[in-house]
Amino acid sequence: MIGIEDCLSEAMSIPGALGAILVDHTSGMAVAGKGIPDPGRAAAGLSEAYRATLDGIAMASQETGFRIEDVIVTTGTAYHLVRPMEMMFDGPLLLCVCLDVERSNLALARRRLRTITDELVAS
Amino acid sequence: MAAPTLDTVLTGLAQDEATGSLRVGKEGTVFYVRGRVAYVECAATPGVEELLGASGRISANGVRRARQETGAGGDGGALLVDRGVLSRGELEFSVLSATLDAAFFLLTSRTARTRFKEGDAHWLGIHWFFDVQGLLRECARRRARLERAWPSAELDARPVTPLRRIPGTHALLTRLQWELLLAADSTATPVELARRLGRPAYSTLLAVRELAAAGLVVTDETAALPKRTPKPLPPQPREPERSAPGLPQVNGDAADVNLLLRLRDALEAL
Repeated sequence: MIGIEDCLSEAMSIPGALGAILVDHTSGMAVAGKGIPDPGRAAAGLSEAYRATLDGIAMASQETGFRIEDVIVTTGTAYHLVRPMEMMFDGPLLLCVCLDVERSNLALARRRLRTITDELVAS
Repeated sequence: MAAPTLDTVLTGLAQDEATGSLRVGKEGTVFYVRGRVAYVECAATPGVEELLGASGRISANGVRRARQETGAGGDGGALLVDRGVLSRGELEFSVLSATLDAAFFLLTSRTARTRFKEGDAHWLGIHWFFDVQGLLRECARRRARLERAWPSAELDARPVTPLRRIPGTHALLTRLQWELLLAADSTATPVELARRLGRPAYSTLLAVRELAAAGLVVTDETAALPKRTPKPLPPQPREPERSAPGLPQVNGDAADVNLLLRLRDALEAL
């Protein structure tokens, strides 16, 4: 079982990780971050990106009541992974990691992210 | 000398690196540990105890028992984690979430009556820290976020009333918005609904404002609409001209045409 700070340290230990941040999706607040120059700005942006993805997929998908496992955005130099965690009464809480595209393995990073979020919310 | 504002008291305690609890009127309490804020309680918002109860993880009785078992200076949060009620991550997030929610409502309090009790601590123990300036900044950011969603506070203290008929054909709802619409009974305000649903009050305010922006709940504008509609005009003597078969019927009004002509002239004159 891990806490919020350990969760970020674990995320930063994923090979190729450049930065990691926890975002409260409802309020768009940066809960905590590592290797992120402006956490407030990053949290607002990531929260909006996740909201747009949710709304877009909700409109495009035939599934009702679907849930997003993770969102992956690939840019020229980085992977941006966003993994939502349903919390007890609010949320989701988003664990977002930015990875160097040259030095990271996407499949491995996704698995690691999943393990970390499971440990954070599992009792 | 005027009574110090709440901001001044809060900042002062931070500078003194105080440890203890600050009661703010009857509205709530701010818990300090060496000048940093560890927890905030507010009468208007659900605390960790209520949030836990509403999530079904532990009964209200279970919370009471855990609280009794935790002696003075104990760590009730750790006790709950040990019993498997919630994980450490969940505990930290609950404390963080409940504190920010309470701070949002408490720190805007106009009351100047505060009382500091040295050494007093919250029964849950210490699971997250906030510096006072950061807390005040976050409250301001949250206020701005509300304004962006729907720039009027008229709905914040008013019963939530869903529209019987929505303007469009589809509506996209978040889980909280769905729960709110189901729970709304035209008598409960957003903060009361938050308590009933066991959700943070700020999230509920935000969801209600978003519902207003989406045109799904009664707002001043929608409520006033029937009144603003002009009385139906007496029947016009002339029958509207029938348009050519197969084309939609047009009921052109000379006033509209005149207005359009004036508008065109004005635009051309630019």
